[in-house]
Amino acid sequence: MSSADDIGGTPKNGAFSLRAIINNAGIGLALLVLILFFSVTTEHFLSPNNITNILTQITINLILAVGMTFVILIGGIDLSVGSVMAFAAVVAGKAITLPGLGTTELIVLAVLAGLAAGLVCGIINGGISAYWSLPSFIITLGMLNIARGAALQVSDAQTIYSFPFVFEEFGSMLIYGVPVVFLLALLLVAIAWFVLNFTVFGRLIYGIGNNEEAVRLAGHPVFWYKVAAFTICGLTAGIAAIVYMARLSIASPIAGIGFELNAIAAVIIGGTSLAGGRGSVIGTLLGAFIIGVLANGLILIGLSDFMRQMITGIVIVVAVILDHYRAKFSAS
Amino acid sequence: MKLVKFAAAAATGILLSTGMAGADDKPVVGLVMKSLANEFFQNMLVGAEQHEATRGDYELIAVGMQNETDFESQINAVENFITQGVDAIVIAPADSRAMVRPLKKAMEAGITVVNFDVALDAAAKEQQGVELAFVGPDNRGGAQLAGNALGEALGAGGKVVIIEGNPGADNANERRLGFEDSVAAYGLELLDSRTAHWETEEANQVFSTMLTAHPDVQGVMAANDSMAVGVVKALEAAGRDDIMVVGFDNIPAVGPMIEDGRMLATVDQFGQQMAANAIDLALEVVAGGPALEGWVKTEIELVTAD
Repeated sequence: MSSADDIGGTPKNGAFSLRAIINNAGIGLALLVLILFFSVTTEHFLSPNNITNILTQITINLILAVGMTFVILIGGIDLSVGSVMAFAAVVAGKAITLPGLGTTELIVLAVLAGLAAGLVCGIINGGISAYWSLPSFIITLGMLNIARGAALQVSDAQTIYSFPFVFEEFGSMLIYGVPVVFLLALLLVAIAWFVLNFTVFGRLIYGIGNNEEAVRLAGHPVFWYKVAAFTICGLTAGIAAIVYMARLSIASPIAGIGFELNAIAAVIIGGTSLAGGRGSVIGTLLGAFIIGVLANGLILIGLSDFMRQMITGIVIVVAVILDHYRAKFSAS
Repeated sequence: MKLVKFAAAAATGILLSTGMAGADDKPVVGLVMKSLANEFFQNMLVGAEQHEATRGDYELIAVGMQNETDFESQINAVENFITQGVDAIVIAPADSRAMVRPLKKAMEAGITVVNFDVALDAAAKEQQGVELAFVGPDNRGGAQLAGNALGEALGAGGKVVIIEGNPGADNANERRLGFEDSVAAYGLELLDSRTAHWETEEANQVFSTMLTAHPDVQGVMAANDSMAVGVVKALEAAGRDDIMVVGFDNIPAVGPMIEDGRMLATVDQFGQQMAANAIDLALEVVAGGPALEGWVKTEIELVTAD
């Protein structure tokens, strides 16, 4: 499965290769089928308002999933992103409600504090799991509890509210019907895509997922690349926290419970292998759309909550089965 | 003695406070609460601790849990309280059926048990042969207060949706039933009813989609205020100021929304005093008063702009 090309710094396995196009085409096709289905079966699915809604609804999951893609590509997992998001949100919430500062200072301070909180959690996750070669599943499970506890401690379990008006405005601002926060998420996808495909760092992320030992023997500092992957994931959790606050005008210490699972689902549905080394952030974008379109469309056709949950689960299982065959196809 | 107490309480989950040292003749009350991640129970704990300090004639040992459904650590807490020989156990059960058996054991050990916040399941109590009073608010009646305020404002034929709490949770069920009572009483038209698991972001997503499916909706009944906040933000995003929202709990974050009319009403069940009141009742029984019977209803109040 792993070739020398995958480890080196050339973009041969990049987004323009035939294999990548085939991989993403399947997911794109599935998304298209879903969109067609809901357009035919419901009256409002394709209305401009509903499209705006869907874009808003997938934004936070997409931001988390972009960071998660890096971690899964190196063969890791980050179960802590939902809790880290809540922690970053209450830290930023505390900052933005400080007395005696101007609006601009408050917002800058809050954004920096939120991003820093996410960053630190990511560094800890990556540092510990890489230094001792421990399974990230367990380390980030620990962080899931640590960050949630920290969020409750910092906020005293109270919802923080009353933010500057311009900050709340940002959360619901539209450009031609497209939410600004979604454009921000899209920008992150574009940056991640560029980094993963056209930088040495990105190619080595794939390389570590394929054959960590080979990358190490080639003289690359694997430890730092792994820390970087988790740090990016923590940083996106911080960004998601800021978007959460701007959209909902509150910072809740119980926000984001279970968000890690949706982010992982978006990455896996998007065709990134849980074993690492294979996948793309464009797939993650499509995966997030599939989850968002399903959640939205199934409410519009009037399906019950419980059926909706079941169908979302079935889609994840089917995606993994498809991935199994895709892996076989690519290998042969 | 104190050390044993400390160890036992620590083993049950989150250790909140050990009682004061000395004065061994003071009655000891074990308080078992639900998730302290929930603002409502956090405030309740603060209220109970203040109450202990004000009354000064009893010792409080409080235990909370990690999350809403973690009833196993509640069972452990009750068993530890039995071992410690506390005088009274005051409990907000995480599961209205699972907690009946351990509480029966406590009563057989001669401990005064007071059930507050969420009522134990009547059938399970009967099956175990347990007679136990309930001290708490009428969630169904409270939801009906909020629902009626909405019904009053909309009039017959008003189109509404319900945002429910966690499916299977007793207070979620009760509140949904209360809203449905209002729907029936005021002849409202219920367009849709969905869960958002008590959570702001999910309520925001679920409601914005419901709004697309039913643009003619006129009123929203949210089973808690966190979800009502999500609904209000969805309405702001959609530029709709013609839709009325009611919630439940009266958390501080909805204060400004009720004041400026973005929310019509919420319901206050005075959570901060709820544990303290239940402790008062328990201490009366411990001091030789008559056993509690039936349902001791605690105060609920509709909160509106005026």
